[in-house]
Amino acid sequence: MNAIFTVIFIASAAAMLFMAPSELLPTMMDGAESAAKTALTLFCIYAVWMGLSRVAEKSGLTRKAAKGLKPIAKRLFRTENEAALENLAMNLSCNLLGIGGAATPFAVKAIGELEKDKNEFGQKLLFVINATSIQLLPTTVIALRAAAGSGAAADIFLPSLICTCVSTGLGVLLFVLSQKVARRGRGLARHRRGFWRKRGG
Amino acid sequence: MVYVIPAVFLVVFVFAAIKRVKIYSEFSQGVKEAVEFTVSLIPCLAAIFMMCAVFEKSGLSDALTRLLAPLFGGLGIPPELTKLVLIKPFSGSGSLAYLNAVITQHGADSYIARCACVCYGSSETVFYISAVYFAGIKVKRLAAPIAVVLVAAFASTVVACLLCRVM
Repeated sequence: MNAIFTVIFIASAAAMLFMAPSELLPTMMDGAESAAKTALTLFCIYAVWMGLSRVAEKSGLTRKAAKGLKPIAKRLFRTENEAALENLAMNLSCNLLGIGGAATPFAVKAIGELEKDKNEFGQKLLFVINATSIQLLPTTVIALRAAAGSGAAADIFLPSLICTCVSTGLGVLLFVLSQKVARRGRGLARHRRGFWRKRGG
Repeated sequence: MVYVIPAVFLVVFVFAAIKRVKIYSEFSQGVKEAVEFTVSLIPCLAAIFMMCAVFEKSGLSDALTRLLAPLFGGLGIPPELTKLVLIKPFSGSGSLAYLNAVITQHGADSYIARCACVCYGSSETVFYISAVYFAGIKVKRLAAPIAVVLVAAFASTVVACLLCRVM
């Protein structure tokens, strides 16, 4: 994230130096303003869902609801941490139901739990799954199309479902592969270091 | 589908009442968590939004759009959608506004609009999600997962444009 931020920011600032030098400051303040507005919107969403999820948690409902998805989550995220598994299962089921607002707090809690076990693999996998979108019913888009006077607003359901499966499937596959390559790379480096140490010694 | 959300709330509250949970205290405790969580997000959110605003305003995103349009065209992505594909990872509200413009301009049932809808619906605002998820965590090497997600999203865009031709 640091590298991305640095590159994009320096390139944009350099371009603005020549094109519109007086615009940089107001543009950045606009950015901060929209961040503040977004934070307020997010608070409204999270206040509702985190309130509800706390009630569900205390009543033991999440534990029950998560039971079915737990075995899958256990294998997928390589964790034995019960609290993490519960939150992971809830995140997956909220995503599938299409209540993305409720999914995020569970994801953040799960990531916090996985942090205790230093399970970076699980954290990143959860990010990949959520960032590739696993929504079953694209409600926002269907509403938009209906509002614009579409004859069959929901006919994008099937292509959307296929695409969402493609992106999530491919994302998970590529991620697991990239982790394997990275591990092999690190192993190789260690091997090489050992080799040089032996020669040097 | 409109029944899902009220049903979820009803089930949770009734179940909690049966289990004798102090619903009001627990609910407000959950809201307190939401306050802390939102506040912890603000620094990352502000930095990323400033980056996006500057990127957009500097004309770099437009330049990139023009540069990539022929390349995207070769993969079957219509030129009207290049911008949508490029801004979706950065900005949810920005891409939603653009999607709305595409729908009103081309008509809700046109190929372009349907394609745009599928692309929009099957991807997420990657940079924003990475900021939210990893706000309080010291995970390093996020470049690989972010790259993976962007590649997967792009592949699904290509599939979306293909599918909308036949479906």
